[in-house]
Amino acid sequence: MLMKLALSGMKSKLKDYLVLLAGLVISISIFYMFQTMAWNRSFTENNAVINSIQLVYVLGTILLSAITFFYILYANGFLLSLRQREFGLYMVLGARKDKIRKLMFIETIVLGMVSLAAGLGIGFGLSALVGRLMAQQLQADLTGYYPVYGPAIGFTVLFFVALFIFSALWNQLKLARMQVLQLLHGSMRADRPWRSSGWKKVMVVVGVIAILLGYLSLTFMEQLREIGLFTATIMTPLGTYLLFMAFLPPLVARLKKSHQLRGIRAFTFGQLSFRINELTKLLATVAMLIALGAGAIAGGLAFWNDAFIRGETYRVYDATVHDPNEAETNVLAGIPFKERFTYRYKLDNEILYYAKEDLESQRPLVHSQQGRDYWDQLKRVEDPLPKATADSAGKAVAGESANSSAGGVAGESADGTAASADTGIESGVEGETAGGIENGESLSSDWTTFLWQIAPTNLSYSDVRLADNVQFDALEAKEQIVVIGRTDDFLAYRSSWEKLDQLAMEKSEGMGVTWSKYENYQRALGISSGTMFMGFFLGIAFLAMMASCLMFKILSGAAKDIQRYEMLHKLGVRRERLSRSIYTELLLVFLFPGIAGLLHVLVGMRLFSFILAEPYYRLWLPILLFAVIYSAYYFITVNLYKRIVLR
Amino acid sequence: MAIKPVIEMNKVSKIYGGKTENQVFALNDVSFTMQEGEFIGIMGASGSGKTTLLNVVSTLDHPTEGTVAIAGTDITRMKARELSDFRAQRLGFIFQEFNLLDNLTVYENVALPLSLQDLPVHQIMDRVGKVLEQLGIAELADKYPATISGGQRQRTAAARAIVHEPALLLGDEPTGSLDTKNAVGLLEQMKRLNEQQQISILMVTHDAFSASYCSRILFIQDGRLVQELYRLGSREAFYKQILNVLGDYGAAAAEAAAKELSAVEDRG
Repeated sequence: MLMKLALSGMKSKLKDYLVLLAGLVISISIFYMFQTMAWNRSFTENNAVINSIQLVYVLGTILLSAITFFYILYANGFLLSLRQREFGLYMVLGARKDKIRKLMFIETIVLGMVSLAAGLGIGFGLSALVGRLMAQQLQADLTGYYPVYGPAIGFTVLFFVALFIFSALWNQLKLARMQVLQLLHGSMRADRPWRSSGWKKVMVVVGVIAILLGYLSLTFMEQLREIGLFTATIMTPLGTYLLFMAFLPPLVARLKKSHQLRGIRAFTFGQLSFRINELTKLLATVAMLIALGAGAIAGGLAFWNDAFIRGETYRVYDATVHDPNEAETNVLAGIPFKERFTYRYKLDNEILYYAKEDLESQRPLVHSQQGRDYWDQLKRVEDPLPKATADSAGKAVAGESANSSAGGVAGESADGTAASADTGIESGVEGETAGGIENGESLSSDWTTFLWQIAPTNLSYSDVRLADNVQFDALEAKEQIVVIGRTDDFLAYRSSWEKLDQLAMEKSEGMGVTWSKYENYQRALGISSGTMFMGFFLGIAFLAMMASCLMFKILSGAAKDIQRYEMLHKLGVRRERLSRSIYTELLLVFLFPGIAGLLHVLVGMRLFSFILAEPYYRLWLPILLFAVIYSAYYFITVNLYKRIVLR
Repeated sequence: MAIKPVIEMNKVSKIYGGKTENQVFALNDVSFTMQEGEFIGIMGASGSGKTTLLNVVSTLDHPTEGTVAIAGTDITRMKARELSDFRAQRLGFIFQEFNLLDNLTVYENVALPLSLQDLPVHQIMDRVGKVLEQLGIAELADKYPATISGGQRQRTAAARAIVHEPALLLGDEPTGSLDTKNAVGLLEQMKRLNEQQQISILMVTHDAFSASYCSRILFIQDGRLVQELYRLGSREAFYKQILNVLGDYGAAAAEAAAKELSAVEDRG
């Protein structure tokens, strides 16, 4: 009989149960999504550029477990609050307490199992969907990734069954300690306004220290390695929680005080200040989830950008075309180059001669220094060119030097190119600078680097020399040209580069390799796409969890607020003003964790500095992306809330 | 000072249910006029339509037919926004429950009607201070509603209802959740407001004792005004008078109900 009553009671609060169930299901499916990565060791290790990726996942699991743990506990507290009045009524009518406790236990477990089944189902779907979408968008190869993955299922089930049993027992304990009257009037309990106290000051101090430690370990991750990873994982959330708990309530109290007599704003801040105490922990959680979500997406994008940076490091000029044929000329004509140079050269007797006048009159751009950090710092080559060496005397000198070292140049230029293309990072030129031409007449290192970047890859030669116009014309070899060009935006003309590469391949009849900037870029992209996928996948998962947390909390408290808005309406507050009050209130609720989360991301991106050239490059893009998602989500929440309280 | 009407209700009906359905007359052709400075009570049994009447007067509900004018303004033709502003500026409310916003202090609650109108701060502080003093709750200013007694809460509500000097004070069972001592306290306050500040009060109640503080009582039954009672003598005498009327109606109603019941039984 009691069971029947309980069921009908559940039916009458179907809407609340659906909100609760949705929250549980989302958190389970996201936990599962994360686990499909964490447990699939072979996939993550094959696809990540980070060495200790497995450790990252272990720590991620710990963090996510902790967040989920508190989320579930909170959700179950909500469940109890939904039911306690009804249970109190049963007890007044003579139901025994142990019966009620049994009922509550069964309800918690059943709800847990239902949400676990639904959560796993949705988790499968989400993993498959996000996986496929990402694979399409990033053109990433995801062999080895399984949306339905046994170990992940096992761990998720184990974790949540344990969690639900724990929270069922927790509810038991709470129920056992409550008196009938407390049960009956549970919802009448007033929220307490914030009060200052000594141990809150301790909280501030500990919180500041914790967050500093966390930020320090993020900043010096390269030196601290695994220890840094651990401290960052523990200290950053700890600091966030403590500071949110210590700072938010007095901040809101101050806001309220200063708007005490400012009409509806007095109400808005009054509302907020009453709510903020129970909101702080949730908002800190939300801040952490934002940090993780936006951080994962920003990290993924940073790996994407890294491919571009590698391309830029590899070559200054976007296109290098030797002896363009008609098709190539057409493609080149279609690209709005900011700078386009043509150089003549001849290959005679295993020696490559460049027309000195061309180089003199079209001085190229080179990187101001070697290394990844200087990928976007360019300078024009100012060094004087050595005397043309194509005359007989020069030939002898050069010939000598060629004997001692130029053999090395030729050999090195061939495999040097290959090597540099393979690693994709170093341009591998340093060696030749010394080796090439070392006397006073020698080419400066900038010139050497540049010449070798434009050198034809399909010809073999043992030395590189300059020839003035007379000498150059006197050479009997065929005159060839190389066209180089640089645009404002390498990525904007990707299709053109691809076409040029294709044409070059056709021209060489499959014999040569283009070693182009575009090819290098593509190769780097291929390496980082796995990491990128993980970043986006986890980013979406974390943001979805954040969304469900916040929305759940705000909407579950909305029922209590109906009376307040009703009263204001009766007192003659216009609907628009009530609506504006809601917008302001929720804006603040969204703003605090949003800012804190982004701050974490800004500091946390340093984490990648040991693997990426520029983790902060174009960081505005993921931040903008996040801002758009977050604002959309803000408006949705406001409207859902408005629909509940402003009837 | 010439006496002006505060409320003019003209043939007001409020009908629930569509044309094809069973129509229920919550109000049926109600007309009455309330003069400035009057203290009127509306009495009737549960479901007689007294709360609907109050809701119509307080612009929270629209009449199906008829017109309602308050302080010379026809409220039946106003738009939602105008109604809100009208309520904020011209009406004061005391309800039985959920009177105060529990997230604001006593002071902030009382200041709300003024601050909603964006009055200058010094003016707000001036008026709120006076009203709190007048109702004897000045020392509670910084307390939250949850931490004060029921009687104090109702006095705060009364303070909030009159702080903006409304044309009309409306009460919906204002003493409904108070014990006798606190109820008397509140009623005395209302009487003083009525007599000393000439505030017009319209109050719905089912309690004869509360009603005896009024200067006139309207009895409502099944949506119709059935009787009017003016107070001529002492409050005690008026109280007896009210009880008599209620007794008559009670007896009549019981008789009617018994008749109906026996008719049903006969048929059965």
